[in-house]
Amino acid sequence: MIEAPRHPLKISLEKCIGCVHCLTACPTKAIRIKNGKALILSDLCIDCGECIRFCPHDAIESQTTSFTDLDTFRFKVAIPATVLYGQFDNATLPHEILFALRRIGFDHVYELSTICELNNAAIEAYIDSHPRPRPLIASTCPVVVRLIQHRFPSLCDLIIPIEPAREIAAKILRANLPRILKIEPAEIGIIHITPCPAKMVSINYPISMEKSYLDGAVSIRDIYNPLFQAIRQSKEDTLMCQLFPETIFSGIGMGTALSGGETRGLKNHRTVAVSGVRDTMRVLDQVEMGLLKDVDLLECMVCPDGCVGGPLAVENRFLAMSRILRLVNLLGERTVVDSSDMSMLYHKDFLSFRHPIKPIQVPPLDNDPDRAIRKAKRRINLIKKLPGKDCGTCGAPDCKTLADDIVRGQAVLADCLFVKEKK
Amino acid sequence: MMTEISFQQEFEIKGGDFVRAGEASCEIKNLLKELGVAMQVVRRAAIVSYEAEMNVIMYAGSGRLDLSVTSDRVQIVVDDRGPGIEDVELAMSEGYSTATPEMRELGFGAGMGLPNIKRNSDIFKIHSKVGRGTRLEMTIRTNGHRL
Repeated sequence: MIEAPRHPLKISLEKCIGCVHCLTACPTKAIRIKNGKALILSDLCIDCGECIRFCPHDAIESQTTSFTDLDTFRFKVAIPATVLYGQFDNATLPHEILFALRRIGFDHVYELSTICELNNAAIEAYIDSHPRPRPLIASTCPVVVRLIQHRFPSLCDLIIPIEPAREIAAKILRANLPRILKIEPAEIGIIHITPCPAKMVSINYPISMEKSYLDGAVSIRDIYNPLFQAIRQSKEDTLMCQLFPETIFSGIGMGTALSGGETRGLKNHRTVAVSGVRDTMRVLDQVEMGLLKDVDLLECMVCPDGCVGGPLAVENRFLAMSRILRLVNLLGERTVVDSSDMSMLYHKDFLSFRHPIKPIQVPPLDNDPDRAIRKAKRRINLIKKLPGKDCGTCGAPDCKTLADDIVRGQAVLADCLFVKEKK
Repeated sequence: MMTEISFQQEFEIKGGDFVRAGEASCEIKNLLKELGVAMQVVRRAAIVSYEAEMNVIMYAGSGRLDLSVTSDRVQIVVDDRGPGIEDVELAMSEGYSTATPEMRELGFGAGMGLPNIKRNSDIFKIHSKVGRGTRLEMTIRTNGHRL
């Protein structure tokens, strides 16, 4: 594979006009405007994609796998996120969408809701066998994992070490396909179809394993138009649809695309579901102060309302949510995963992390404690000199961050137009 | 002898203000992270300041939290103008609480506050005068440890 960038988000220098929308939208204050263009600070970015949502000029590009890149594989398998089932009108059934994926060039399509249910059952088994500590935090959202590593390092031990459904699905395919197809493992491309730019990072730079079982991630946005055409064609071709083998879907698994989806499956536990990056940070702050100790599972998803609100989805999330909820209700609460199968995979460690999640240190004000204290004091004095308007024209998202940049030697007081004017 | 460099900040805490509960502690927690204090120390300081902040909000009319950080310790002093504690020893025992049913409904009043503060501090001092107020002094050593 071509060397991948550490972050999936890139500013298009042609489209960026250096306005302040992304600057103020970034929850980790990882964007500055330098020389009239937005710049993402790699140390601080957690790949949440808020900037994509807020950019009015479509200038933030997410570097996911392009559809044409897939031609290098002899056998292509798609693992679509269950969010995909909510992207087309109510008359389009999940198996039609899976069928259309074959039509646009995938040799095989692996349905994910069943594996989501398997993952959910494994999370429950983990919670039951680990009475402490609390609250345990689900690891499905890769941005939450990164957020915890960077911003809430002392909470790393609370992350449930069970791989997310997409990786488990790819692992199952890797274990079986070469044998069944009698081709080289390297010739098989396993691709996740996703509403989320951060999945690309979790594939290129996995945290809990040496190498991801996935080969790439195609965004729903990129695949939407051809897929939409293919769905229309396949509707005309009802015979082909009938010939498509019956797929089993899981209602429990389907629901995990929505906030509260992971907690819904856990009937006998105390659970809390949070969505949205700012609310997630607020709740993690509380956990760090010793709260939520009576909660068994804390589900955090940084996109609003869960993966269904991912920045690379196409359909508005409320419609998508309504469609997925309808499917969840149609499929009911019946489990499709055999509990003895789950138990076997769980105890064989097939579902668990290879490595624990380790903290990543965000650079402190200074590596020397005394100098860091001096800089913090200087920062307070600087904040008093700044107007507190948080206008963003200096290139930092707010006055406090400008003061921070100044003591870190990355900006000067004269960057503030108000201070400059006074002089 | 070289003078010790310390960072100091004070926070006003309003009694009964449950809406803004935890704001001071959160700010302290983030500041300690920026200063590069080891994460276990940050966590202990966060728990200590949160519990102390909540005590003022729950029981006192008003109070003040003084934070002081040097390269080898974090010190948190909380002074309140509250009713004071009649029997300090009893208040320090786990499970003892004078919280009202309303506070308990909000999830507080398990009688773990003061014991929790003591457990997470390296040095803990409490002075209380009935009718005047309570002063808590907590020190957590950083031992120069970094993350």
